[in-house]
Amino acid sequence: MADDFDADVVVVGAGPAGACAAIELARSGRRVVLLERGPFPGSKNMYGGVVYPRILDELIPNWWEQAPIQRWVVRRSTMVLTPTQALTVDFRTAAWGAPPYNGATAYRPDFDHWLAGHAEAAGAQLLCSTTVVGLLRDDRGRVVGVRTDRPDGDLRARVVIACDGVNSFVAKQAGLHPPADAANYTLGVKETLSLPKEVIDDRFGVRGREGVDIEILGGTGGVNGGGFVYTNLDTIAVGAVLKLPKLAAQKKRPEEIIAALKAHPAIAPLVEGAELKEYSAHLIPEAGLSMMPKLVGDGLLVAGDAAAMCLAAGIWLEGVNFAMASGMYAARAAIEALHLGDVSAAGLAGYERRLSETFVLKDHRKLKRAPHLVLSDRVQHMYPELITSVAERMFRVDNPDPKPGLRRIVTSERKRLGIRRRDLARDGLDGLRSFG
Amino acid sequence: MLCVIPVRDGALPAGALEAIDECGHRTLLIGQQVEHAAAHLSGDVLLCEAGAYRPGAWADALARVLTDEAIIVLPASPDGRDLGPRLAAALDRPFFAAVTLVTERTVVVPRDGGRSMHTMPAPGGLVATLQVGVRGSEPCSRERAVRTLSVDLVEPNAHAFPDARVVEVLAPDAATVDLAEAVRIVGGGAGLRTPEQFAQLADLGTRLGASVGATRVITDRGWVGHERQIGTTGVVVAPELYLAFGVSGAVQHTSGLGHPDHIISVNVDAHCPMMQLADLAVVADANEVLAELLMLLSTPADGGSTPADGGSTPTDAATEQQRG
Amino acid sequence: MIAVCLKWTAAPLDGGSTGPDANDDRFAGVSPADRAALELALRLADVRHTSVTAFAAGPVGAERALRDAIAAGAMRAVRLDMAADADSRDVAFELAQLLADATVVLCGDYSLDRGSGSVPAFIAHHRHVAQALGLVAIDLDRAAQAPGDAVIHATRRLDGGRRELLEVPTPCVLSVEGSLATLRRAPLRRALASRDAEIEVVRTPPAHHHGAPAIVTPYRPRARVMSAPEGDDPLDRLRRLTDAGTSTVRGETVVLEPRAAAERMIAALRAWGYVT
Ligand SMILES: Cc1cc2nc3c(=O)[nH]c(=O)nc-3n(C[C@H](O)[C@H](O)[C@H](O)COP(=O)(O)OP(=O)(O)OC[C@H]3O[C@@H](n4cnc5c(N)ncnc54)[C@H](O)[C@@H]3O)c2cc1C
Ligand SMILES: Cc1cc2nc3c(=O)[nH]c(=O)nc-3n(C[C@H](O)[C@H](O)[C@H](O)COP(=O)(O)OP(=O)(O)OC[C@H]3O[C@@H](n4cnc5c(N)ncnc54)[C@H](O)[C@@H]3O)c2cc1C
Ligand SMILES: Nc1ncnc2c1ncn2[C@@H]1O[C@H](COP(=O)(O)O)[C@@H](O)[C@H]1O
Repeated sequence: MADDFDADVVVVGAGPAGACAAIELARSGRRVVLLERGPFPGSKNMYGGVVYPRILDELIPNWWEQAPIQRWVVRRSTMVLTPTQALTVDFRTAAWGAPPYNGATAYRPDFDHWLAGHAEAAGAQLLCSTTVVGLLRDDRGRVVGVRTDRPDGDLRARVVIACDGVNSFVAKQAGLHPPADAANYTLGVKETLSLPKEVIDDRFGVRGREGVDIEILGGTGGVNGGGFVYTNLDTIAVGAVLKLPKLAAQKKRPEEIIAALKAHPAIAPLVEGAELKEYSAHLIPEAGLSMMPKLVGDGLLVAGDAAAMCLAAGIWLEGVNFAMASGMYAARAAIEALHLGDVSAAGLAGYERRLSETFVLKDHRKLKRAPHLVLSDRVQHMYPELITSVAERMFRVDNPDPKPGLRRIVTSERKRLGIRRRDLARDGLDGLRSFG
Repeated sequence: MLCVIPVRDGALPAGALEAIDECGHRTLLIGQQVEHAAAHLSGDVLLCEAGAYRPGAWADALARVLTDEAIIVLPASPDGRDLGPRLAAALDRPFFAAVTLVTERTVVVPRDGGRSMHTMPAPGGLVATLQVGVRGSEPCSRERAVRTLSVDLVEPNAHAFPDARVVEVLAPDAATVDLAEAVRIVGGGAGLRTPEQFAQLADLGTRLGASVGATRVITDRGWVGHERQIGTTGVVVAPELYLAFGVSGAVQHTSGLGHPDHIISVNVDAHCPMMQLADLAVVADANEVLAELLMLLSTPADGGSTPADGGSTPTDAATEQQRG
Repeated sequence: MIAVCLKWTAAPLDGGSTGPDANDDRFAGVSPADRAALELALRLADVRHTSVTAFAAGPVGAERALRDAIAAGAMRAVRLDMAADADSRDVAFELAQLLADATVVLCGDYSLDRGSGSVPAFIAHHRHVAQALGLVAIDLDRAAQAPGDAVIHATRRLDGGRRELLEVPTPCVLSVEGSLATLRRAPLRRALASRDAEIEVVRTPPAHHHGAPAIVTPYRPRARVMSAPEGDDPLDRLRRLTDAGTSTVRGETVVLEPRAAAERMIAALRAWGYVT
């Protein structure tokens, strides 16, 4: 067949997934075009919170020396909130503040821009302000390129890698997606608040480039979900991840929920006096594995959020690292297939194999039940109450009464809150299976 | 300091009186029927009858007679902005555009779309245009001392400094008359996110009996015709009521605003100039406030006023972000 | 040849703020006015059966603007190697040296950062050609009827909403407002090809002029002198026309949820008697 292809591979979307795919492909000497709808990579992307770039070791050695990060996360807290109480598990380690580091806060327009820069440096052709509006297929229905919104906008390629983010247009077109169901998505909303660096350092007890990542259970005003607080250099990100159906049902506006979160006695002192810099909202594919589309078609691969590879289980909010990894593995599968001259679904099957061998699918399998569990009504509305009130009674000193034993406290509080022992046991087990 | 004013058919351009004040009433009128234009002026007035407007030829001719005038100021009217730089080039002097203040010692120039002001020492010789509407003007008691000045213009057909020929001057565009004469104006700026949201202004306008105006950023985006642009390079208006949605209030915008009896500004930035000018400064999202206003002002008949179908549902908000 | 002059500014005001990094050009670009100038240059070149050359004086970053121009249809692109903050007089002088065989030079009416609108006028001065600045329309049909015609028919903005119809003899310098036209989208392949299109670079002599060091402060309205009492003699009408703006800081500031804000505004309008 005559080579009337414009490129070996077209990557749709210059987010973390697309950029990493393009880097790997370009370095293998393939002609790769990276299409981005925004004016520059990251411009359209929600300011992410914490990224876990360790996977970059494979692509950009010593990435930490150049990555545009804000702060290195050396403190990770999990907060359980009721309207008036808070119980915090606070972990801190100096290790995460030194190479090879663990997590870092970063602005997505900086991070994505930087990552795509590496793709260009490697020889990929990045074209921004260009939106993919359709797939090109040959007579046998195989994907052979994309149609963009530009004049004469068809671009023919042997392989198309869809990295176009949550509820991917491309994957849908290819018929790979299960019908989108609102229940499978959460809405991520986030406020970026500016404060002087010194103030942030003091309030969060960090210095220099050290940063904090707080995940919050409860405190989302009756709407199932989770909250978060991240520290950037001179801004704080306060946000929530919210179940869509509940949100609609409660007729609550996301910004109201953030406002309530900021007003909570445990959070208010952290954000006091901060000035709102920006508000943003974005869908997150939350149900993980259960909603993952087919990842491979003839001449087509799907990676990152487009493949629902985002881990949003309340206190877990990881997507960038899964996106980067899946993008990289998709690229390797494409390189392999191009080399063997078979870009059919079968030829590209190496992708799924790679995913299942690595953390990408392992984590998702492990946490299969997690989203459901963490977002269940009991965990959301009853357990916070239970945990905090137990703690309250443990720490309360009401002499002359003697201190009650823990078991007695738990049982009485459980009864008071009308939680059945059976449910508690089952959830505990689920929890162990997932997180344990 | 000398104020140079290009005159068309005996009429002074916008900002002429302010520029004359700024220069302590030393004025040179050049153009058509300058004598008539001088009727209401005081102080020293030089009359230079030079026919139809010809920036190239005028600049060339004036440069030859004004070499000793250290500081030359023109109003930043369309013709002033046109002639000013030509005069500066002909005199080989620095040119300061649309300054908000000029004295023998200092010039203050707005930069970055009127967001910052650059204050600089005035060089020995300079030409500047004075932003229209920044200082106002007051009647001057000084006697008028009129002299005529004759300059020799190169022939219109000569190729030394050719100029464009004015074929016709059109009265204000029908589309702008309503704006120019409007008693109430709703104005929209870059704070309005989409063309649709800007279009909502029109609805609000009809409900308040107000005309729609816009900032340069909006007309540049093509969301509305340039004839709707309020400001120094747009239409100069004089409403009693001005409602500003997402307008920062850059000097080039506000200087075309007249002085309304009442101003309401909706902006997320409580400190921008438009908010300072406002009688009621509302710190809120202009897009959402606009939507709410339309619901509140809609007659129950068209059933828009139930809170439920109010602001965007989460899914809307989300998909909106998707679209960017 | 038709020339278009594009000014590359670090952060177009319509584009947001640049990051901490100095050579961060994510938000950099050319003004809507310059984009309109490019679009009109292309259309004019079409009807006059000639080609467009794009010029930009500035550092290497400016080449992105030139590549975009090539993608959109410009035939040649030339960068004058100058500092981003070069004085308008130097910029115009150096540009003028290269514009000898341009029948029409198109500019934006003013740049986003400097905003003086003087470069086009300076170019017209150096080239001894006619200028028409701040155009709101260029008559392309007339141009199409007589492609060889030695005049351009255009409409320029005057004060008070008036406009003038001009006959501009070519060669000439025209500057246009951003609302005049939206730049066409570059075809996909041209856009891709433009990435490694050749940009001619012209070295320029060291700067002649240097702007005086400035003290930079946020914009504050200047205190205005009392304007004369209202009256209906011509002077006062004139004064009312030419007067504008006010610096008196007045009124109250409220922070409200959208709904409450709308209610508060309507209450005010009612109190002032605009709505019943
Ligand atoms: C509120 C919130 C907080 C989050 N916090 C975190 C966090 O703390 N840590 C973390 O790891 N993850 C976080 N995530 C998840 C993370 O943002 C995503 O998982 C990650 O961005 C996925 O990367 P991606 O490359 O797959 O998709 P995206 O980052 O969404 O990139 C998709 C790209 O494709 C482009 N595009 C889309 N459609 C088209 C088209 N038709 N044509 C051309 N281009 C197109 C888009 O403009 C975009 O640039 C968060 C998400 C949200 C909403
Ligand atoms: C020579 C020259 C002539 C000019 N002539 C004119 C002219 O005639 N007319 C004119 O208007 N301009 C003119 N300009 C441009 C002028 O300098 C300003 O750039 C322009 O007026 C700014 O318009 P804006 O307020 O819409 O945009 P911006 O200055 O960008 O302001 C946007 C405002 O919206 C606010 N905002 C953002 N988001 C929201 C939200 N969600 N809700 C509420 N508020 C929000 C921001 O806080 C900001 O205050 C001229 C400039 C020059 C140099
Ligand atoms: N450095 C430059 N390079 C190319 N064109 C320029 C440059 N500076 C100004 N111009 C042109 O002159 C117009 C007015 O700019 P200014 O005189 O700076 O307001 C711009 O819209 C451009 O078309």
